[in-house]
Amino acid sequence: MGISALRTEHLSKRYGRLLALNDLTLDVPAGEVFGFLGPNGAGKSTTIRLLLGLARPTSGRAWVFDTDAADVAAAHRRLAYVPADVALWPRMTGAEVLDLLARIGPGTDTAYRDELVQRFALDVSKAAGTYSTGNRQKVALIAAFATRAPLLVLDEPTSGLDPLMELQFRQAVGVARDNGQTVFLSSHQLAEVEAVCDRVGILRAGELVEVASVAQLRRLHHTEVAATFTGTPPDLTGVHGVHGLHADGAATVRFTLNGSPAAALRALADADVATIIVREQSLEEIFLAYYGQNAR
Amino acid sequence: MIATMAAAARPEHVLRGLAVRQVRRGALVVTAVCAGMSALVVAGYHSEALDPAALAALASNPAIRTLFGEPVALDHAGGFTVWRTGTVLAVLLGVWAMLAASRTTRGEEDAGRWGLLLSGRITLAEAVRQHLGVLAVVPVLVGAATAAAMIAAGVDATGSLLHGTGLAAVGLFFVAVGGVTAQLFVSRSAANGAAAAVLVVGLLTRMVGDGAPALAWLRWLSPFGLLALTRPFDSNRGLPVSLLAVAAVLLLALAGRLAARRDVGAAILATPGSRPARTALLGSVPAFAVRRTVRPLVAWSAGIGAYFLLLGLIARSMTEFLTGNPEFAAMAAQAGFPALGTVEGYAATLYALLAVPAGVFVAVRLAAVAADENARRLTLLLAAPVTRLRLLAAEAAVAGCAALFLITVAGIAMWAGTATVHAGLSAGDALAGAWNVVPVMLLCLGAAALALGWTPRAVAAIGALPAAGGFMWQVTADSIGAPSWIRALSPFAHLAAVPATAPAGVAASVMAGIAAAGVVAGTVGYRRRDLSA
Repeated sequence: MGISALRTEHLSKRYGRLLALNDLTLDVPAGEVFGFLGPNGAGKSTTIRLLLGLARPTSGRAWVFDTDAADVAAAHRRLAYVPADVALWPRMTGAEVLDLLARIGPGTDTAYRDELVQRFALDVSKAAGTYSTGNRQKVALIAAFATRAPLLVLDEPTSGLDPLMELQFRQAVGVARDNGQTVFLSSHQLAEVEAVCDRVGILRAGELVEVASVAQLRRLHHTEVAATFTGTPPDLTGVHGVHGLHADGAATVRFTLNGSPAAALRALADADVATIIVREQSLEEIFLAYYGQNAR
Repeated sequence: MIATMAAAARPEHVLRGLAVRQVRRGALVVTAVCAGMSALVVAGYHSEALDPAALAALASNPAIRTLFGEPVALDHAGGFTVWRTGTVLAVLLGVWAMLAASRTTRGEEDAGRWGLLLSGRITLAEAVRQHLGVLAVVPVLVGAATAAAMIAAGVDATGSLLHGTGLAAVGLFFVAVGGVTAQLFVSRSAANGAAAAVLVVGLLTRMVGDGAPALAWLRWLSPFGLLALTRPFDSNRGLPVSLLAVAAVLLLALAGRLAARRDVGAAILATPGSRPARTALLGSVPAFAVRRTVRPLVAWSAGIGAYFLLLGLIARSMTEFLTGNPEFAAMAAQAGFPALGTVEGYAATLYALLAVPAGVFVAVRLAAVAADENARRLTLLLAAPVTRLRLLAAEAAVAGCAALFLITVAGIAMWAGTATVHAGLSAGDALAGAWNVVPVMLLCLGAAALALGWTPRAVAAIGALPAAGGFMWQVTADSIGAPSWIRALSPFAHLAAVPATAPAGVAASVMAGIAAAGVVAGTVGYRRRDLSA
């Protein structure tokens, strides 16, 4: 395994009686785009605040490229951050904020920054006090993407963006990936996570319940199959991996498939299949399945 | 279900409840201070035999009038109390009222907390009116409590009630001023700045009106002038206080009207849409701290500079008067102003006052850091390679240096005033006198840093305590002849009368040491704690 961009060991955070984060052990290799999923209050922002040294862990440790996350001066030379709720000094213009963040930050590619300003269509001559939520978010996104820091930590960065800007965001993540940057993306936008992330971690009630690639996640879960037949549908009862079998009219059967499809395909091949639709569950469905019960 | 419907039917009750919760603690403190201090000074008054000719001389001396207001009925415990505490309490109440007005209206709106509130049936104008309405009750309570406390302490009711009414009217006026500026300006800091300008100009107008007989009419234009013109325990005039109350009510109505004419989150005075970037002082954390301090520092310097220039201009008249009328020198000493007879003594006494604004200034600057943290504006800075230690060190150092600048401005301003009237204060003595308050300012810095580390919500209050609280403590202790160990609790008791005497090196070192301990303990707390928001 290569270098870790971000690593935590038994990281926990307690706020009074609430255990906001419980024993998180996570390793995000350099160069990966990692999606961090979880419902509100699951502990995503708490994790990020601990990684950034904005809050102190109750126990456990975190590293940014093998620098202790508590050593902010060194760790933050290698990361850029976009908070979920961007607050700016109201009397400073967007350009002034970008200038400030570039000059105190980990180093900025100003040409790329100017390009991003164009792409995100941000009027940087306006005072930040006049910006909408989306425009404030754009300022932080532009500042972060323009740093070319090896690790980008993005906390729900697109919640205020319109679909066009969301597209620009995905492109910027793509550019970051091509540059070898690691992206740690906390998000609710499952379509976005599905589109840009290599792996996802799912957090529930302060605990990490799953870490897998998006493809693996789907494989772990069932596939929906609907087949129509020219003749009589075969009897699939008892075939390995087939569940939830039901007939949909005389010529159609629907079922869900878990694990290897080989047995089911053999059974289907013996009949006269007219059409077959195989659909993997979307991340959203997987996600909802996780949080359907005991969700917080 | 019934309860839910009943609550939903009365949104203004909910609003008022919200407003009360935001101001009740401060209201209690201000009420207790105003009533308590007035009663203590009444109780501690010792009647001195003053002959009428001397009283007349006192009342007509322009310097005395400029500094303390027109002395009225000083041979009476009530009159002395009004003269001694009236302006201090009126300023305290006024400052609290205007800050509370902008905090509960523009501050909440600025923080985005009104978005949800105003999505219901409540309009912006209604929300502003209800909040100011609740706040308007506080000065009335303060006035009533002060009058009741004075009556209970044994002075007659008419004067006490008039004084209480006057205080209430001043408080109401500044609730209204804060309410109006909160509508005019888009940010809370700008609204506070404008309201503070009204207060300082009002104070200076009163001083000039009292000091120069030809400009006596100016007092009718100042809330503090109108307060003085009521002359409690003397001629008991109702007209000035009525005028002030009417002005306050009109301004309150104006605030409601202005609120109805603007959008949520916007202001009557529009900010320019676009402007070129000003990239000076953005290169580092200390530079950025300087950038955010320059504007308030200029405003504070203008106000404090004007005040001390005026004090310099009256120096000669004051010292000559007190040299000629020694009985008043003794009386001034009882009121906490000893040795006013020489220009050095005069300068020393008045430079000690400088500790209050300088201390409040550093407290307010560090409170701005806490506010930036609470509003999540610091998050982007602290996500950069910037340690909290570096941020706090930069902010504290810049605040301290800015306060030093402010103190120096005051020193030079008073020296310029004295030089204009040839009062004979040397520039070196003037600066030495001004810099003598640096330890008290440092105490405030230490207290504010300590609060930032451990109780970030109370930075302004705790930071201002050594200066503002210490000053009030000393005034009260002096007025009631408290034992020396009680006096000694105030840092002002440990300030030498520089330039009349040599600086108290040991006391200054002890204060600086306590301040350093506060900064260290605050830094430890600031590095360890979780950042809010």
